[in-house]
Amino acid sequence: MSRKASIAGRERQRYRVREVLDGMQFRRARTVDEAVDLLAGLGDEAQVLAGGTDVMIQYLDGQITPETLVHIEGIEELATASLNHRTTLGPLTTHRTLATDETLVTAHPALAASAGMVGGWQTQVVGTVGGNICNASPAADTVPPLLVADTQLTLASSRGQRRVALTDFFVDRRQTVLEPDELLTAIELDPLPRGAGEVYLKLGRRGAMEVAVVGMAVRLGFTPDGTVDSAAIAVCSVAPTPRRVPDAEAALIGSTLEPAALDAAGEALRAAASPIDDARASASYRLRTLRGLLERATAGCKEGATP
Amino acid sequence: MTDDTRVAVAFRVNGLAQRIEVDAGETLLRTLRDRLALTGTKEGCVEGECGACTVLVDGKPVDSCILATAAMEGREVLTIEGLSGSGELGLLQQAFVDHGAVQCGFCTPGFVMTLTALLEESSSPPPSEVREALAGNICRCTGYRQIIDAVAAVIAQGERP
Repeated sequence: MSRKASIAGRERQRYRVREVLDGMQFRRARTVDEAVDLLAGLGDEAQVLAGGTDVMIQYLDGQITPETLVHIEGIEELATASLNHRTTLGPLTTHRTLATDETLVTAHPALAASAGMVGGWQTQVVGTVGGNICNASPAADTVPPLLVADTQLTLASSRGQRRVALTDFFVDRRQTVLEPDELLTAIELDPLPRGAGEVYLKLGRRGAMEVAVVGMAVRLGFTPDGTVDSAAIAVCSVAPTPRRVPDAEAALIGSTLEPAALDAAGEALRAAASPIDDARASASYRLRTLRGLLERATAGCKEGATP
Repeated sequence: MTDDTRVAVAFRVNGLAQRIEVDAGETLLRTLRDRLALTGTKEGCVEGECGACTVLVDGKPVDSCILATAAMEGREVLTIEGLSGSGELGLLQQAFVDHGAVQCGFCTPGFVMTLTALLEESSSPPPSEVREALAGNICRCTGYRQIIDAVAAVIAQGERP
């Protein structure tokens, strides 16, 4: 956003407490049923509010102008995580929980690493994984690790429920298939299988409080002799939406991560990317980092794979 | 509620029960500073990057500049003013003074609140954890070393701040 818009937003907020009212309303939902009923009545006039680390910034800056905030942070049924053969995360699971809960860290090391790189402690304790998904930022850190774990989302409305693969959820930058009356109610994903390793690498200009220049998650399975027998690769910050890159995955399967295979996979990553020039990096720089990130990430997978 | 756009919130600030009406999009930072006259909490970036506005909500550090006050129903908020209610500085605050960890001072309340949460969570965090905990607090005077020294001194004393 422009510097000017940012200053205008700040002034707006400064004055609001004195007299300027913009007429926005605030509704608290205590249950999923309450939330979907509210959304059914309000439609696209509503903005769901969880931790607010994206929504409040966008609101204060005037990027979004909802008539009503529907506050879902108090819905306990959306805050629990359970691990079976699949992991089910409540969308209100915070980045801090993903990064520090020992069971989750063991089952989802790349997701944990990504969550620990989103902002600082102050935003990790309130920012939620559901919010990171629904905000649909091209740079959403938790999304590549979720993509390589074959994540399925449950979307609920007063009309019923549907399940959508995370790969089909994003339409464009900040656009998803979520209908205005729908609420994300569950996130299901595969834990890291035995014999596999996974890594999330975030390239930035500094070590903390960074928006990814490029983010890459890789999950690889190996046969006992070190041949790759399963591969999942996802990237963010190189296209309007985070995405899986099946051609790069295919190039690694059957390989032992030899240079030729990495070259082919790196070429597939470049072909799938359509990065932009922005304040953080140029498009050509982003493209040139993909092969190197892939080499580091795949080496990390091999090193971290459970025997 | 007086009208549709005002939200009644009952929460505690520094141990005192507050029942106020706020605007739906009003931030906790604005409420603290402009309604409750608690101006120790500072406004820096207003986008959750710098940590100058850090307060504790239910013991966890948060950026009050991007938190809706309306979402604080039933929560417990602790600000820098709540650390020295008796008029005396806490151990951590005194250590900041002793180690010259205050330069212009604008970031100081935020740093103190984050470190208070850290020392509540773990009595002797290793230096790496201290630095990681401070990732969301920026000091434009760049006086990080003195801040780290102040925390180390408190940890060495082995007492709660």
